[in-house]
Amino acid sequence: MTPDLILSARKLCKHVPSLDGSSRQMIHILNGVELEIKSGETIAILGKSGSGKSTLLGLLAGLDLPTDGDVYFDNIRLNALDEDGRAELRLDKVGFVFQSFQLLPNLTALENVMLPLELKSDANAQAHARALLQRVELGNRLQHFPRQLSGGEQQRVAIARAFVARPAIVFADEPTGNLDTTTSAHIIELLFEVNREQQTTLVMVTHDENLASLCQRRLLLEDGIIREASP
Amino acid sequence: MNTLRLAWRLLKRDWYVGELKILVLALIIAVASITSIGIFTQRIDLAMHDQTGRFLGADLMLNSPRPVDKQILDKADSLQLQISKSLLFSTVVVANNEYQLAQVKAVDDHYPLLGKIEYTRQLYGDTIESANGPPAGKAWLTQRLLKRLQLKAGEPFELGDSELLVGGILKHDPGQAGSFMPIAPRMLMHYSDVGRTGIIQPGSRITYQYLFSGKLADRERFARWLKSRLNPTDRLIGGKQGSPALNTALDRAEQYLALASMLSVMLAGIAIAMAANRYGQRHFDQTALLRCMGATQSRLVKLYSLQLVMVGTVASVLGCLLGYAAQQGLVLVMVELLPDNLPHPGYAPFITGFLSGLLTLSGFSLPAILRLKSVPPLRVLRRDSMPLPISAVFVYGLALLSITGLMWWQSGNLSLTLIVLLGTLACVLILTVLSTIMIALSRYLLGYLQGPWRTGLMQVIRYRRANQLQILALGLALMILLTVLLLRIDLLDRWQSQLPAHAPNHFVINIQANEVKPLADYFQGQGITTEGLYPMVRARISAINDVPVLEAVPAGARIDEALKRELNISWASSLQKNNKLLDGQWWTQADSGKYLISVEWGLADRLNLKLGDTLSFQSADKQFKARIRSFRKVQWDSFQPNFYIIFPPATINEYPHSYISSFYLSSEMKDIINELIREFPGLTVIEIDAIMQQVKVILDQVTLAVEYVMLFVLIAGLVVLLASLQSSMDERIHTAIIMRTLGAKRAFLRKGQLAEFTLLGLFSGLLAIAGTEIITYGLYSRVFKLGFELHMPFWILGPATGIVLILLTGWLYTRRVIMQPPARILDN
Ligand SMILES: Nc1ncnc2c1ncn2[C@@H]1O[C@H](COP(=O)(O)OP(=O)(O)O)[C@@H](O)[C@H]1O
Ligand SMILES: [Mg+2]
Repeated sequence: MTPDLILSARKLCKHVPSLDGSSRQMIHILNGVELEIKSGETIAILGKSGSGKSTLLGLLAGLDLPTDGDVYFDNIRLNALDEDGRAELRLDKVGFVFQSFQLLPNLTALENVMLPLELKSDANAQAHARALLQRVELGNRLQHFPRQLSGGEQQRVAIARAFVARPAIVFADEPTGNLDTTTSAHIIELLFEVNREQQTTLVMVTHDENLASLCQRRLLLEDGIIREASP
Repeated sequence: MNTLRLAWRLLKRDWYVGELKILVLALIIAVASITSIGIFTQRIDLAMHDQTGRFLGADLMLNSPRPVDKQILDKADSLQLQISKSLLFSTVVVANNEYQLAQVKAVDDHYPLLGKIEYTRQLYGDTIESANGPPAGKAWLTQRLLKRLQLKAGEPFELGDSELLVGGILKHDPGQAGSFMPIAPRMLMHYSDVGRTGIIQPGSRITYQYLFSGKLADRERFARWLKSRLNPTDRLIGGKQGSPALNTALDRAEQYLALASMLSVMLAGIAIAMAANRYGQRHFDQTALLRCMGATQSRLVKLYSLQLVMVGTVASVLGCLLGYAAQQGLVLVMVELLPDNLPHPGYAPFITGFLSGLLTLSGFSLPAILRLKSVPPLRVLRRDSMPLPISAVFVYGLALLSITGLMWWQSGNLSLTLIVLLGTLACVLILTVLSTIMIALSRYLLGYLQGPWRTGLMQVIRYRRANQLQILALGLALMILLTVLLLRIDLLDRWQSQLPAHAPNHFVINIQANEVKPLADYFQGQGITTEGLYPMVRARISAINDVPVLEAVPAGARIDEALKRELNISWASSLQKNNKLLDGQWWTQADSGKYLISVEWGLADRLNLKLGDTLSFQSADKQFKARIRSFRKVQWDSFQPNFYIIFPPATINEYPHSYISSFYLSSEMKDIINELIREFPGLTVIEIDAIMQQVKVILDQVTLAVEYVMLFVLIAGLVVLLASLQSSMDERIHTAIIMRTLGAKRAFLRKGQLAEFTLLGLFSGLLAIAGTEIITYGLYSRVFKLGFELHMPFWILGPATGIVLILLTGWLYTRRVIMQPPARILDN
């Protein structure tokens, strides 16, 4: 395995039982995904709604286990770890940005951003969080609660949270899905800037071609398998 | 450390969301209820103990026919107990050529360890309270002894080989408990004078009395240590051993009170479980996110357990404080009924309350909180990813286990706990059935209702599950409250109205044979009618059909009070008024002088006696036997002299005996008692009316305490109401918003809401009073054997209370449902 590979998937399959649980019919969401991601790369995974992008992201990030096949993260086989083992890996190396922001409503912007650092018992959590919020231009909204912020502002808080612990890789699931076009552009700009500054690997899942075009590599998820998308 | 900080921060922010407040409120109520009862009963216990102490003259009293082993006194000494030694014996006292048998108690300088001796310096002088007995060389004699010897204060008299001076007239000395009712008059002297009297010889009948006092823990250790070392002829009195009947009654009352307080804990537990459930559900997202960010399961368990401990600690501390205040309130309410200076409670009830709080909290909320552990991190991507459902067995099992454990701990009595628990479950079951029927039937009313009432009823039916719980919780609480209230009013009223108007209210005892005639004349002269003068021999049942009594009776009867002490035995030619012959025959003239007896049937039943059985009696050092000829039913509450055992005339009159009588005195004639005692100094008058008044006060006090406890039950019921409103809150708000966007006016929603609450209150009130009537019917017909009538005023009172309570609580809480602006529909 090449040393600068941070994430790879081998024959990744995910089958789930169909909703009418009676029949043994399975839905094949992923059907042998092969994928190699190098450290520092920015990658977009494109696909129609319902094509299984989020499912793939969940598997790559170790949030879920594949029906078949393997995911290697930093040369560690995720299948070989239990949930807590994968959690520790995420704590160390992974950041997330979600379509629905997923901020804790009862915590202020600052506290939300501090959260990953606190889980890592970082003594300077507050200083780091403050700095990163300033970086995403929210230095004056530190004590605001998510409900007091607009969607775009909330997503900026989420970006700060994703990067604050200096993860090796950030997964973003349709980060602009809930935002209007203008706001989206600004958010994306910030996301890529911070990413560049921290030289983080970025794996982004989206159905938005424009967004995807900002990434170094674009992959297409269709019929449960991955192809390189034509540029 | 970090988890702790995080737990605290998340918790602090969660506080503003309703269910934590409800959880805390419920827990505070539960803890306050347990703590207040705990403190209260402990203080009463301590006060009771104080009183026993003053009564005994010490915390513990040991009576023995010979000096006890030195190691016993050494042990007491090593436990830092105070010790006092006394001697009790009968002897003849001589003065002015009069010889009189007297009961002597010789006491050392430490006597009494607790309480005071009362004496006067002159006949009819002012009573002096003394912390010590008479000094050496002097003795305090009872008025009766003084009169018999024609002595005055300050004069000398002979006691054995020595001479003593009359130092005072003895009124009361602590420590008479355990000695039989004295027939001979008494005197108190100093221990150091006994030697020179030369009275004590080998073989003299003497009781060596030892008094001990000290710290509770020390003397209990001593009592435990001592128990196994006592001879069969030794008697230890006081502490947990003393006055067993009273102690058992008190223990029982305390157990019931503690269990009653557990009802509020049960209801609070329901509210806690509901709140915790909602808390858990609302934290699925947060948990998924934390797991996604790398928090391990064990860390989450730690996080939420810490939160639980924090909430539990704060709420339990507040509960303890509230409990203390409530208990203080209870003491204030009953200030006239309680001893002046109630002892302070110590830490134990607070610790108990605090731990019970944590136990209640974990027992009812742990399943919901532990469930969070299994929230899949994937939920951040797929909202429909749910944690594993909690097993119902776990939820109910844990709740039941913790409540049973708590009740057992509180009452110290497993069978009682199980009975109360099953009883409550049965009540809940019946109420559930009733309320289900009620809600089901109310459906048919829909057609007859219009406007807000119709909306209200529809809501009752729509939120059936939550509402049924509300009706049940409040109904149960109200039912208990109504039952207690009703029993108090009914029973006290009836009891008082059942006593005949001029029932005897005084007993006279210690009447000597030669005083019978003068006393009868005296009563006649004063126009007082007595219930007759009855002879009375004191004797102990020693054997049944020649088998020693403890072996002869059923195992359960061995602790029967009647076997432990001497009984009053009488003789009579005819059956007393208010006695009824149940079996056998009453004697005729010809039976006079025969050793036959008539036995009270309750005693006969307990001791498993049959007609024809032979009982042996021991009276002082004499023994006699008699055959059972009949069984009698005795009306104990007739306030005439009543006897377990009656002989025919001319049988036991050779044994030492005195006479007893009872009579009625109106309160204006009370002065006659003083005159009577002056005339007949040897008599003892017992004022039953004073005792009755005390009994009534105690009854009042107990029911008041119970009602007070029930107040907690009621509040806990209201918290359940809040919790269930809370659980239907989201849905209610959603419905309200839709209704408002569809054009419903606020006033309409408000009226509908009010109608719903009114109906809920009505239902729970009806449920409560129906349950109350069922319970009281059962109690009256089975236990009290009283006639039963429906309690019509309560059929108004119950539902009215229910309506007011639900309207107040529910309305305050759900106001914001109606205030929702319709624009909120755009929010989500
Ligand atoms: N655990 C599951 N159970 C049932 N269906 C699932 C499950 N996970 C995903 N799916 C289905 O698989 C499909 C792909 O889902 P998803 O990965 O969310 O697609 P995308 O993110 O590309 O829109 C959808 O139709 C979804 O309903
Ligand atoms: Mg998706």
